[in-house]
Amino acid sequence: MRLTVTTFALMLSATAVSAQTTLTLYTSQSPEIAQQTVDAFMAKHPDIIVEWMRNGTSQLMNIMTAEQEAGGIKADVLLVADSINLGTLKQQGLLLAWPEAPLEGIDPLMYDADKTFFGTKISSTGIVYNTQIAAPVTGWADLFQDANAGQIVAPSPLYSGAALVHMHSLLQDASQGWGYYERLNTLGVVPEGGNGPVLKAVAGGQMKYGVNIDADVLRAKRAGSPVEFVYPTEGATFFTEPVAILAGTDKVEAAHAFVSFILSEEGQKLAVEQGYMPVDPKVASPEGMPALSEIKLMPLDADRAVAEDTEARAKFTEIFGG
Amino acid sequence: MSSISHSKGAPRAPLFRISSERIVLALLALLILSVSVAPMLRLAQAALLDDDGLAIERLTKLFLRPQTGAAIWNTIQISLTSTLVSLLVGTIFAVIMVQTDLRGKSALVFAFVLPLMIPPQVTAMAWIQAFSPSSPVLGLLGLSMEAGTRHPLYSKTGIILLLGIYNAPLVYLAMQASLRRIPMDLAEAARAAGAGPLRVLLTVILPLARGGMVAAASLAFVSAIGNFGIQAMLGIPARVPTLIIQIYQQINGLGPSALLNMAALSLVLAALTVAGVLLAGRAGDRNDTRVDLVSRPLMLPLGRAGIVIAVLLWGYQIVSLLLPLSALLQTSLVPAYGLPLTAETITLKNYISALFQQVSLRNAFVTSLWLTLFTMGFLMLSSVFLGYFLAWRRGPLVRLLHFGSEAAYTLPGITLGVAMILLFLRPLPGVGISIYGTPWIILAAYVAGFFALALRPVLSGYAQIDRALEEAAQVAGAGFLRRMRDVIWPLIAPTAIAAAVIVFMTAINEIQTSILLISSGTRTIGPMIIFLEEGGASTLAAAVGCLMILGVLTLMLLSTALSRFLPKGVLPWQF
Repeated sequence: MRLTVTTFALMLSATAVSAQTTLTLYTSQSPEIAQQTVDAFMAKHPDIIVEWMRNGTSQLMNIMTAEQEAGGIKADVLLVADSINLGTLKQQGLLLAWPEAPLEGIDPLMYDADKTFFGTKISSTGIVYNTQIAAPVTGWADLFQDANAGQIVAPSPLYSGAALVHMHSLLQDASQGWGYYERLNTLGVVPEGGNGPVLKAVAGGQMKYGVNIDADVLRAKRAGSPVEFVYPTEGATFFTEPVAILAGTDKVEAAHAFVSFILSEEGQKLAVEQGYMPVDPKVASPEGMPALSEIKLMPLDADRAVAEDTEARAKFTEIFGG
Repeated sequence: MSSISHSKGAPRAPLFRISSERIVLALLALLILSVSVAPMLRLAQAALLDDDGLAIERLTKLFLRPQTGAAIWNTIQISLTSTLVSLLVGTIFAVIMVQTDLRGKSALVFAFVLPLMIPPQVTAMAWIQAFSPSSPVLGLLGLSMEAGTRHPLYSKTGIILLLGIYNAPLVYLAMQASLRRIPMDLAEAARAAGAGPLRVLLTVILPLARGGMVAAASLAFVSAIGNFGIQAMLGIPARVPTLIIQIYQQINGLGPSALLNMAALSLVLAALTVAGVLLAGRAGDRNDTRVDLVSRPLMLPLGRAGIVIAVLLWGYQIVSLLLPLSALLQTSLVPAYGLPLTAETITLKNYISALFQQVSLRNAFVTSLWLTLFTMGFLMLSSVFLGYFLAWRRGPLVRLLHFGSEAAYTLPGITLGVAMILLFLRPLPGVGISIYGTPWIILAAYVAGFFALALRPVLSGYAQIDRALEEAAQVAGAGFLRRMRDVIWPLIAPTAIAAAVIVFMTAINEIQTSILLISSGTRTIGPMIIFLEEGGASTLAAAVGCLMILGVLTLMLLSTALSRFLPKGVLPWQF
């Protein structure tokens, strides 16, 4: 009897819910941050329920490939680290363009020219060091000394979207190129895994230096970890955590609302609270972070990166003996 | 409806009666064919076929790469040697625990089994930390290495050692059930004839336990082959490519064709393991030991050596359990990673956050727990039934089911995850509902992935049951289910529950399969630890890890407290 009542109640609530729209979001943001973002959005749009799934960017790509092979991608909206994986999806015709997207005041470098994906915040990749055991450095040249052999740790572009952008930005830079990775190789550094473990190795003193993301390092530093972040003098690479709408979605309106929210002043302020630099210049950078104008950034031609991606990954694997 | 042909209670005509035995077999077949065999076939199809037939070009290219050959060779070498390590450690431990009069066994076994519940990634991380220049433990002893020296664990030997130690409890669990059931008359006779304990051990006990040993070795072998956590954490920096690392790099590295290459490499991995298991099966079949349940176990007296042995065993626990566990605990108690644990820095904020603030974490705990318990109970029951058919009713269908369960177990978690998505994303035929995105797909993956894990110890248990008992019951007119309940179950229960414990411990910290299958409503705890770790929240991840261990510990203690309601000898750590 009780079971019947429960079932009935469940069915009722299911009908009530169906009056709302359920939006499925795949994201690579950390669980805490993803939850904050979704909560803030749903508070503003009570008629839309966002169901989100968090996974690493590469894993998400695997899931979507498998979903596609088996009959169709389940996600409506995507919020992942890098524009290269998104560029690949765009090339396959899987992303929906939104020409009227609210992009006023935002630097065109931050979004796709065909308006299929839009940067939501700026994260830089630079150098992290352990303040207790390592001497400060200012750039890649300082770091890549023979004395530091075996003391550097880096994330793998085969795994992390941020590291993938890092690789392509360096490859497109005339003064860096493959020399950067060959130097890492001679220093005995094998890039592996994501950015979290790198930070952990440096903060824990297993390694003196690491290649890492500014927001993550500053968050750890604020919490008390003995770490410091350096924007390299040669230039820091950066990625924009783009948001994109899948072409197969039947919830275009809700998806538009989500993208608008992320790009709105309110959404940008939330990103700042989470420790990221905003893409909207009207919103100020978080405390402890320099203004965009104070650091040198290495640009990335995403289309070129997409075109060269397969070859670059193969070459990377070759250097590090995958 | 109008003509009821026979009155209530009268025997029905045999022609219309399907025996309960057949129904059970049919259900088992349906289960294994749909969750194990079908995903394997789907994967094989993806791996071997292109749109226009056999993908000869793609496969040639893949297998002609020098890395592929090296990976296959490394995988075989590492899995075999680490199995030897596990077998050595696990067997020594099992023999001492079951056959000697050592004191304080329960605590030792408890501690010995516990590391199985720490996810391999976390174990590897803790070991790396323990041997690093900043190691808290080695630093205390003045043994820490200089910064910049090559880490000793980043080597083939390091991988073998860690895999061996990680899987040793599996060997122990599989072996002790069979050791406990060896008839002791023979050993007693040997003792009476003047043989020393070591001689009794080598010439009587171990030969009698060979079936259990082979089952244990094949468990350790397959677990080593598929242990992504340890292989990746140590193997990538050490530049020792193995098949599972290659699969991982293929899937992450090469775009859309990766899925197909990954499937092909997974098939190689599956073939290797099935070959190993079949070989082990042949070796095991030749030895069919019967047990005499009434004989009391013989206790070899250790005398003074007992103290030395106890010290050595506890020393092993300190290295294999305390070292990684203390690193984990220390991390969970500081506000930010890298801070030393002092009176000023100690905090419970990670625990408070994990338990009360992060709703998704709490849900993941609950989901993992019920999925694991459900899988455990279901597999225990199913493997007792399938074990019956495998032991005494072998036929082509039963053989196929055995093979299917073994093959699915050999798939790396990540591959099984992909196969499950490929198979179950579309609505199920007839029902029209897709189980993708629900807990049921994870459950299906767990059942497929862990069936062999439950089945192997149970099979070695069946090998020790005298079938005459069951046949006598059959002659006396007991039906199949009745015989299972009244004759087989009491005999097989200790092994079945040991198998269930193995399944529980493996499933509760499972990561690779569920990381691809979790969805917004269904999160399991293993992947959550990885996500937190990736997001830089290491201290929170450590707290979640500690809570997991605490949870399992509670379950273990609870079952110990309730053990008087269970058949004797059921809990692996109780004597």
